[in-house]
Amino acid sequence: MTTSTLSSRAGEVVTGNVRGVAAGVSRELRELRRSPDQLMALVTAPLLTLVFLAIMLHANRHDLAPYAVLAPALLVLWQMALQTSGDTVESERENGSLEALVATPSPLPAVIGGRIAAVTVVSMLGFGESWLVAGLVFGVWVQVFHPAAMVAIVLVTGYATACSALVLSALFVTTRSARTLQNVLTYPFYILGGVIVPVALLPMWIQPLSRLVFLSWSSDLMRDALTPAPIEAMWGRLGMVLLLGTVALVVGHLLVKRALDRSRRMGSIGHV
Amino acid sequence: MSETAARDRPDVPTTLPAGTPVRAALASTRNAWADFAAIYTPFTWIVGWLGRIVAQVIFFALIGNLLGSQEQVRYLYIGAAVTATAMEALLVVATTTRERYSGTLPLLVASPTRLWPVFLGRSVQWIPSGVATGAVALFVIGPLFGVTFALGPGVAAFGILVLVAVSTYGYALALAALVLRFMRLRNWATNLSYTLMMLVCGVTVPTAFWPVWVQAIGQVFPLTHALDAIRHLEAGDATAAQVWADVGLSVVTALGWYVIGAASLERLASSGRRDGSIEFAD
Repeated sequence: MTTSTLSSRAGEVVTGNVRGVAAGVSRELRELRRSPDQLMALVTAPLLTLVFLAIMLHANRHDLAPYAVLAPALLVLWQMALQTSGDTVESERENGSLEALVATPSPLPAVIGGRIAAVTVVSMLGFGESWLVAGLVFGVWVQVFHPAAMVAIVLVTGYATACSALVLSALFVTTRSARTLQNVLTYPFYILGGVIVPVALLPMWIQPLSRLVFLSWSSDLMRDALTPAPIEAMWGRLGMVLLLGTVALVVGHLLVKRALDRSRRMGSIGHV
Repeated sequence: MSETAARDRPDVPTTLPAGTPVRAALASTRNAWADFAAIYTPFTWIVGWLGRIVAQVIFFALIGNLLGSQEQVRYLYIGAAVTATAMEALLVVATTTRERYSGTLPLLVASPTRLWPVFLGRSVQWIPSGVATGAVALFVIGPLFGVTFALGPGVAAFGILVLVAVSTYGYALALAALVLRFMRLRNWATNLSYTLMMLVCGVTVPTAFWPVWVQAIGQVFPLTHALDAIRHLEAGDATAAQVWADVGLSVVTALGWYVIGAASLERLASSGRRDGSIEFAD
């Protein structure tokens, strides 16, 4: 095979993936406008902010208000990605359109990735929502002491969330129990991710496992960005989020591809 | 259809006369159990559902650790465990409204039986399931978080947990009747109700924390009163009068919701017949 043929082939792959992602983003944005159910997490986030904040204020722990404000936003981020990764495959399967989607030239991981990416960007509204509700209802205006770092952490966390959701969608392609899997991956994941209680306060035996969850690094970093002290080892910790996200992206891509190959061979895409 | 074929059809194991509400409700429970068996295997219920609920309860209890207070750990643990039972009862909304998605609602409306007994029995699977998840969290895992009951109060607390499921079922039935008219609210109604209960029913902070008007909202939920009784039973400071007062309030509010639910369902059926607004699917 000549060099020009190889580069032409690589170009086609890149173009196919870009088009797939763009199609996924466009499709998801249309879906979000039509199906407000998908924005459910954003609707419950303000109430959850009040739930968490009430706990802290009732215990006279105003210093923990930032924890209460961050937690619902992180829950929204994960819930929406989890819901999309599961529902995308499940709804296409129920609709009978999964086979057609798989048969198109665009790679399925790119289309799913695009849909998840769109939802992840929208779910970031949860951060502003929680912050605003805490201020308006309880008069607790949480100060962001390191705004530039906070923006970087949120963006990298969004990237890692979308990549992790791709791994989940691979599991959803091969299982009929998507709903069960979605249930399992909520609260256990929130505990491991240190969403409201920092990993350092979890039992020692669970901490190494927590550190394999990108959210545990993200939540610690975000809480640090809300305190006046300089953020220790920020780049290294941010790098861990990026690394875990990228590992998930590679694994997710391979898993989706492998699951599809197997489903194609078995003829079981629509009825696993 | 021949008489033999009609006799061979599976029937409800009851001697109650055909057409009575109790018989219709009992017959409807068949759907509930079949639905439950279709959704869960023992493995997926234990790992997927029970595991998730226990993790959810522990999640809230850990906030007590963050606050550095064992008392808060217990308070949050009990609140989250009992609310898990109520949360499951709220699934009535999903199973009730599914009849409209499935296209069976017009058939139910057209049948000679009233609508409310059908839906009264349609979702009973969530009552034992909710009681089981709440009981495992409260009595099996609870001691690890300092939540313990003496034998007598423990038995009473279990009975009140059953009351939580049955009473919240009534609230959820009324909510489902509303959602059947506004199907787009299906998931919103359940999730918002659950989060609202967390907020105003004394689940995570005492109701007294809130302004009086918020406390008043909390009083209409049966959970508020039942949870208060369970907390006293666990603390060992419950008087019979206090517990019975809480149980009484829980029963009264639940009855109110059952009546609202039944009336709303009948109204839905009658207005649907009149104006043809019950279509085969949304």
